[in-house]
Amino acid sequence: MESMVAKITQIILSPVLALIVGVFFLGLARKIMARIHWRYGPPLIQPVIDMIKLFYQKGVSHGRMFDLGIILSLAGSIVVVLFLPFGRIAPLSSSGGLLVILYIMLLAPLGMALSGGQGANPNISIGISRKLILSLGYEVPLLLVLLTVMTRYKTISIMEVVSAQQSTSWSIISFPLFLSGLSYFLILPAILGIRPFDMSSAPQEISSGPMVEYGGKYLALATIEHAFVLFISIALFVNLFLGGAANPVTFFLKMLVVFVLGLCINAVFPRFRIEQAIKYLWKWPTLLAFLGLIITLAIRS
Amino acid sequence: MSLELLLIIAFGGALFTYLVGKVSYKVRDFLAVVISLSLVTFVACLYGKSLEKTFYSGFFGLDLVLRLNMLSWFFAITITIIGALSIIFSLSYIKGREKTDFYFLMMLLVNAAMLGIVLAGDMVSFYIFWEIMSWSAFLLISYNKGPALAAGMKYIIMSIIGSVCFLVGMLSLYVSFDTLNISQIASVIGSASSGYILFILTAFGIAFGIKNAVLPFHTWLPDAHSEAPSPFSAVLSGILVRMGMYGFLLIFYVILGLKSFLGLGQGLYSFHYILAWIGAINIVIPTFIAMLQNDAKRLLAWHGVGQGGYMILGVALGTKLGVAGGTFHIVNHTSYIALLFLVVGAVEYRTGGIRDLNSLGGLIKKMPVTFVGALVGACGLIGVPLTNGFVSKWLIYKSLILEGYPFLAFAALIGTWGTILSLYKFLHNIFLGQLPEKYRDIQKSPISMQLPMIVLSLVILLFGILPGIPLKVINAIGISFGFESLNVGLWGITSETGVLNTVNIFAAVLIAAALVWLVFRSTAKSVPVAQEDSYAAGAHTPPDKYHYTAEFYNPLHRMIKPFLRDVIDEFYYWIASSVRSCAGILRRIYTGDVGNYVMYIILFLSLLIFVQMKWKVW
Repeated sequence: MESMVAKITQIILSPVLALIVGVFFLGLARKIMARIHWRYGPPLIQPVIDMIKLFYQKGVSHGRMFDLGIILSLAGSIVVVLFLPFGRIAPLSSSGGLLVILYIMLLAPLGMALSGGQGANPNISIGISRKLILSLGYEVPLLLVLLTVMTRYKTISIMEVVSAQQSTSWSIISFPLFLSGLSYFLILPAILGIRPFDMSSAPQEISSGPMVEYGGKYLALATIEHAFVLFISIALFVNLFLGGAANPVTFFLKMLVVFVLGLCINAVFPRFRIEQAIKYLWKWPTLLAFLGLIITLAIRS
Repeated sequence: MSLELLLIIAFGGALFTYLVGKVSYKVRDFLAVVISLSLVTFVACLYGKSLEKTFYSGFFGLDLVLRLNMLSWFFAITITIIGALSIIFSLSYIKGREKTDFYFLMMLLVNAAMLGIVLAGDMVSFYIFWEIMSWSAFLLISYNKGPALAAGMKYIIMSIIGSVCFLVGMLSLYVSFDTLNISQIASVIGSASSGYILFILTAFGIAFGIKNAVLPFHTWLPDAHSEAPSPFSAVLSGILVRMGMYGFLLIFYVILGLKSFLGLGQGLYSFHYILAWIGAINIVIPTFIAMLQNDAKRLLAWHGVGQGGYMILGVALGTKLGVAGGTFHIVNHTSYIALLFLVVGAVEYRTGGIRDLNSLGGLIKKMPVTFVGALVGACGLIGVPLTNGFVSKWLIYKSLILEGYPFLAFAALIGTWGTILSLYKFLHNIFLGQLPEKYRDIQKSPISMQLPMIVLSLVILLFGILPGIPLKVINAIGISFGFESLNVGLWGITSETGVLNTVNIFAAVLIAAALVWLVFRSTAKSVPVAQEDSYAAGAHTPPDKYHYTAEFYNPLHRMIKPFLRDVIDEFYYWIASSVRSCAGILRRIYTGDVGNYVMYIILFLSLLIFVQMKWKVW
């Protein structure tokens, strides 16, 4: 009974914490970008203010799939959060491991793409096309990285990866895995869709791409979804390479360091074209990830 | 229910339906449905039975045997269900076309022949049913005439090459072991040398590989699948092609046995490892080619080749999880690829034969049930959690990672991303985006088309949420191959190396979706708008021209196109054209004029006389 209550508390707690962290990162990102641009920037809680405002505004709907797609997308992200350990909070991490996480992460972009598809706006189609091509681009190194980690620790369970690191040392400073960690860090902006990889939602070119038809609560839900994606991709990195954490506070601090580092490096780049992005992703990050996997295999046998 | 009776109903029913069709269309349609459904029931009743019976002895001194075990039951039930659904779908699809009696005869005959293949207990009857299947499939592929004739020709030529390889292997087995009964061969083949086994595997491997469309024998498949009538494409891609997979399972695990299969060769050069790499290549290349297709059925056809790679990969691994995953993937693939072909069939039926992805769009509003079918089928093909495709892929990935083959796992996983890209294109270009003006008055698909699609969608979801149901059968097959038993629960796998709990995932998705839906409902209402009413930066939006589908992945297309030429197909065409030009030279000699032949004879005789006179050889 005790463990049941604890489990349910965790199930409720982890998406809420993820949402808070994600939204905080959204606000922080705008602030940091503003300081780099020599501007003052909006207050940290600006995303929250925007969201509350948006939930009270009317939006347009293009049909059933337009509504369901965004619901599916957000639900998918919430489920991924349940599978990701956040410090010691990991309600569902025992039901299938990294492979399941990898596949449930599909639900979010798929839902967005289906919802946008019914929006029937060419800007959306172009945006989704770019987004899917980009994700094919970063999946090549990302899959290699994840496979390296799973091969190194001989498990598909993310909990075991975390505990193995806590008993020895962080993956990022252990020999073959630092290559993979570096590769993950290099593709992180592409996963997050921030500059220089924001071609799929480029506001100046294609009117924010998949978001163009969203208004009101749709835009608010899309923002929440974005917050979750921020949380998930960084939390995955912390779990796999920075040894997870014993409590949520340490975990959050690790995430913060990774996020700010990533942001500062990428704030100074202009936007890539999609071909340039693919060329970049399939060159250095893939090479590093590939090397990491080869060495890991050689050590194993 | 004996096995002969089952086959008599299947074959006799096909002929009877044809004859009835000469009298009344309605009775024929009814009869075709009844026969195919009764076959499903009969096969279902045979669950768990193990039979073996000689039905004809004295075929050149050989006994022809029928036998039933878990493996053949597993395939038989899949064949009959897909057969029945495609027949139901055909009712309205084929209505009003010419030679419909012939069409139904062939559809029922193909199903009967496949049933015969999986029930055959000796090589001779296997071969007979195999040929009936190949030839009736040929007639169905060519049914549409025009380009379908060329596609059918390509198919039957490759099929005959496969049959010849099969015959060579079969005769060689007979010469060596003096029997063609499958279980008898299995008991004596252990004494053969590994070189001989390799020869047998190559002969049968080519025969089954051509049917299963394994690279480099895949070239017939894209043409045949896209040109055949859609309900038959569903059968063709769903199960007929997978008869090759049945053949692989039969030759590797039933005849050869697990131990000698894994013992063939050493380390990196072992037979099963090389086969696994063939499987991996089979996943990646066809999937990426599929992404660049603009014909809906051609796109799906290439996925048929690609998904075959997963099955080979799983089966070639030779671990209990891998083989279970590979076998499970066969039935999963059957369900979702059949569903997707039926979806294209329904769209074709309503739009007047259009399956060009660039000229469709927005059909979700007109054909909602078809769209749901397409969505579920696409999710299954991608392997989204809660569909059956996910469970079988999870099994394959997991055994690849735990066995230490990360590069094979990488090939399999990246194939999934190629699948997402191409299937999204499929969904988007047919159902999403703007509805063209000419399709404004389109009707939703008729009930006889909706029913098979709904059934298949439910199967996909059921097997995805409760994978324990099919896995129980698959586990029994695995045990008969000599593997340890899997720890199968109703909701998935509980093994010592990791758990998959699909019910947990299902509950989580359901609750999360309900939660978001509540937020969605309780906030400000949205206004429904027409498709033209969209943001265009203040510019006028012309109707009919505001749909971005052509060249959907153009930037990527430009980058990867040079790497994806189908060189193998070009090579086959080169062989075909050189054979043709050789034949052209031969034709100069065989003119058909008697005078010429007389001249050849006289010349030859005079040559002989000249030789005799000069050197006195005789």
